[in-house]
Amino acid sequence: MSEHAPEPEDLRALGERIDALKREEAPPPRKTAPTSAEVAIRFGAELLSAVIVGAAIGWGLDWLFGTRPALTIVFFIVGAATGIRNVIVASKDITRRTAEAVAAEQAEKER
Amino acid sequence: MAINPMEQFEVKPVSWAPHPLFHIGHYPIYFTNQALWMLVVFVSLSLFLILAVNKNRVVPTRTQSLAELSYEFVGGMIDMTSGPAGFRFFPLIFTIFMFILFCNGFGLLPIAFTVTSQIAITFFLTAVVILTAIVTGFVRHGAGFLKLFVIKAPVIIMVPMVLLEFISFCARPLSLSMRLFANMLAGHTMLKVMAGFVIGLGTAGGVYTVLAAAPEALIVALTALEFLVAFLQAYVFAILSCIYLSEALHLHDNH
Repeated sequence: MSEHAPEPEDLRALGERIDALKREEAPPPRKTAPTSAEVAIRFGAELLSAVIVGAAIGWGLDWLFGTRPALTIVFFIVGAATGIRNVIVASKDITRRTAEAVAAEQAEKER
Repeated sequence: MAINPMEQFEVKPVSWAPHPLFHIGHYPIYFTNQALWMLVVFVSLSLFLILAVNKNRVVPTRTQSLAELSYEFVGGMIDMTSGPAGFRFFPLIFTIFMFILFCNGFGLLPIAFTVTSQIAITFFLTAVVILTAIVTGFVRHGAGFLKLFVIKAPVIIMVPMVLLEFISFCARPLSLSMRLFANMLAGHTMLKVMAGFVIGLGTAGGVYTVLAAAPEALIVALTALEFLVAFLQAYVFAILSCIYLSEALHLHDNH
């Protein structure tokens, strides 16, 4: 913590020793696999929010240009596409996190 | 016996202050259970942090080391996502993280109201983060901030992708607030449904009374899980806020 006021030399040495010991002793941060409820909520939120926002943008543009319902339909579909892409991105992230958690557990067992 | 598991999420005036405090226009402003528990969170959080560091010892007491731990935890989170430049947002991220953590935690008390199970609250928190990100982005990069939506690709793919990215960006506040709110809502509803089973079976008599132990055991397990969810959702919310702010700071070049 370099932003602190100047410390006596021995105090700093003590701090360094504590930090070194902490690095040695502390286990690496535990990685947990996402729970099924978390995964379900995440997918739902990603898909739903994109569709809602897409349709809302279409609705607003329709109101602006007086072209109801053409743009609402177009942006609903684009929103759905965005939602599906976001779910794919999310599923990649979840797969990665699950794999990391499994690997961490494996390493724990072997130790 | 009918138990409504959603009743716990009703926002209503507290019983000892049934009259509106004041009016804004025609709208009466009540002191609701929501306001009460936010006040509880605010007071206890302030007391915890102020009392923890007011002595400012070199060798920390237990409370002080708890406060230091949360400081370093949030600091590490910011450092990991956006580097040293992100530390200007430390107060914002720390406040949001601690507020959500305490709201989730207090929500697990038996009589408490879970503030974060209201989408009004979570959406407001997200709005603060996203608006900060947008303002930061435009102040730092000017119109160049719009490059966030551009992906290097042939024009025929790029145009629809820009649209996609734009909708995706606009959907962020909604999806982020929905995740926190839905997680808290789902967990607390599940606990109350199980509690309804216990009461229903327990009062049925005979062999059913013994069977009531099964949902009871499930409640214990779910409560333990809820503690994990309470922490994890605060963490997820804070780290996603960090990522969005970091994007506004560095555009794409950092990841």
